[in-house]
Amino acid sequence: MEASAGSEAGRVRLIGLGNELLADDAFGILVAREAARRFPGLEVVETSESGLALLDYLSGVSCLLIVDTIQTGKAEPGTLYSFDAADLRAAPAGALHGAGLREVLDVADALGIGRPDLIRILAVEAADCATLGGPMHPAVESAVAAALDWIGAQVATLTRPGCGRRARSLR
Amino acid sequence: MAETLTTRRITIDPITRLEGHGRIEIFLNEDGAVDRAYFQVPELRGFEKFAQGRPAEDMPQITSRICGVCPTAHHMASTKALDALYQVEPPPAGKKIRELIYTTFMVEDHALHFYFLGGPDFIVGPQAPAAERNVLGVIAKVGIETGKKVIAMRRKLRELIALAGGKAGHPVFGLPGGVARPLSEEDRRKFQGAAAEAVEFGLFSLEAFRRLVLANSDYVELIRSDAFTHRTYYMGLVDEQNRLNFYDGSIRVVTPEGKPFASFTADRYVDYIAERVEPWSYMKFCFLKPVGWKGFTDGPDSGVYAVAPLARLNAAEKLATPLAQQAAEEYFATLGRPVHHTLANHWARLIELLYAAERMKELADDPGLTDPNVRTVPTATPREGVGVVEAPRGTLIHHYVTDSRGIIQKANMIVATQNNAARISLSVEKAARALVSGTNVSEGLLNMVEMSFRAYDPCLGCATHSLPGSMPLWIEVRNAGGERVAVLRRDSDGSIRRE
Repeated sequence: MEASAGSEAGRVRLIGLGNELLADDAFGILVAREAARRFPGLEVVETSESGLALLDYLSGVSCLLIVDTIQTGKAEPGTLYSFDAADLRAAPAGALHGAGLREVLDVADALGIGRPDLIRILAVEAADCATLGGPMHPAVESAVAAALDWIGAQVATLTRPGCGRRARSLR
Repeated sequence: MAETLTTRRITIDPITRLEGHGRIEIFLNEDGAVDRAYFQVPELRGFEKFAQGRPAEDMPQITSRICGVCPTAHHMASTKALDALYQVEPPPAGKKIRELIYTTFMVEDHALHFYFLGGPDFIVGPQAPAAERNVLGVIAKVGIETGKKVIAMRRKLRELIALAGGKAGHPVFGLPGGVARPLSEEDRRKFQGAAAEAVEFGLFSLEAFRRLVLANSDYVELIRSDAFTHRTYYMGLVDEQNRLNFYDGSIRVVTPEGKPFASFTADRYVDYIAERVEPWSYMKFCFLKPVGWKGFTDGPDSGVYAVAPLARLNAAEKLATPLAQQAAEEYFATLGRPVHHTLANHWARLIELLYAAERMKELADDPGLTDPNVRTVPTATPREGVGVVEAPRGTLIHHYVTDSRGIIQKANMIVATQNNAARISLSVEKAARALVSGTNVSEGLLNMVEMSFRAYDPCLGCATHSLPGSMPLWIEVRNAGGERVAVLRRDSDGSIRRE
């Protein structure tokens, strides 16, 4: 990021990752859609892409929120995990799309491509991400509300002026 | 079961750097030697049920969202299935725009794989420490400028795809009988400029491959090594002169000796491709029906075949563009013909990248590209249609059967990785046998097993689907001792036989 002060400070983008055709994998997409309605000032992206495609969504903001699906198999479906990208190596393994995020950020850093100072991830434990047209697990579906609350709280904190600067000073 | 108790299971999960999920499992016997190894994928269920009752015309938009890795390939195969379903031939400009967008996509996808997914294996090197075998290691080796070039190229190509075909991650240009809108002269020039750069990029990448891989005799030896070699059949799309084509043509198969075995149009795929299910995987393993299934083994008597870059170069007699043809000649002169070395997929991928770039340039140079007549509106009653393209990862087939209103009654899809599944299992098992023994399994050895797998660039998100429509399906049941106790066989006419 070139400029975290001024106009870009406090700019927040939400990326909903997933695939709405694949049962619980729709989570990120549904959350993004609802968030776009509920938080009009928030820039919202929904995408089914993975890996390096995420590079396209990194620049231009100081804070990035990512909502995704995860399958650790070690928690009940619907369990929410929240962590910062800086902690990604310590995150539960096996994210469906987030697996490549660490590397995407490495590429961005190595090549000097702008990326947000702060990246915060919310992932839901999914039961099924492989049934085309399949229903969402009830617990995953009801986690949508909690995810939106989480986004609301993040937006309230992060859109205060100086978010980017503060995040940087913490690193 | 006694077998379970004496078998140790080692799981590599997930396979790192792969877009999607896969799992290689190695079973050791009591003596610690490899008993069996294979790759397991998360099943993608319900394609047929999902498709049933939907208007066929929606399928190109829907199927492009099945997989976040190759949406353009699904969109194109689906659109071509609609051409066949509505018995309609796109006008020349419609076809050219489709192929232009498609070759642009192939350049982008191949570049991404070579540098960032396959790169750690070959650019950084198979023996490099694990800490360096990642994308940062690749950038360190090729240089930051090259890394930037790859990213810039990728972005530019994706912008062009978006310009002509809707969002790159969600293309919407294909309609039965053509494309949604013509290409402006301004857009054509943009493609022209990008294509020229892509050709340069292809040449540059091949040069980098020569410098980083071919100049290292250890790497070349590894490529040629028996552990990564299988003498199978090879499949790929070719034009009327048996030249490689990604977008259209006949499906050509050559024998392990490189001799022509079959050439057929997509609508006859059920006569040539059969599928079987193994008890340990949801994945269906394709094999050549006229040859038959002889187990996970190679050679002319086994119906196991391969798709993807290595297979495509073997299946085609030549390439239609001069620089890529020259590169292919060097490749065959070095490795023999046909090439049976799995790891040569990386080299073949770069040759294909150059071909795609040159073909992109040819199409962009064609003034006929901007002809406003881009669609033949369908008038026929739909019934059944099969569409095929070469996805970056190999032959991709979509097959729809509809009622007279175009509502889908049956649907089937054969994705690239399914075609390759049996050979991938061969590769995984052979590498495991050669490189893993005893209980001391080092990271390096596991890495080598993964390398064989990644060379195929398998796309696992959509590698499996539910019960097929008209595809032959063989189900084999084995007891704990490995003996075959029953075979349930459903042929393409729907008849079920027990053996």
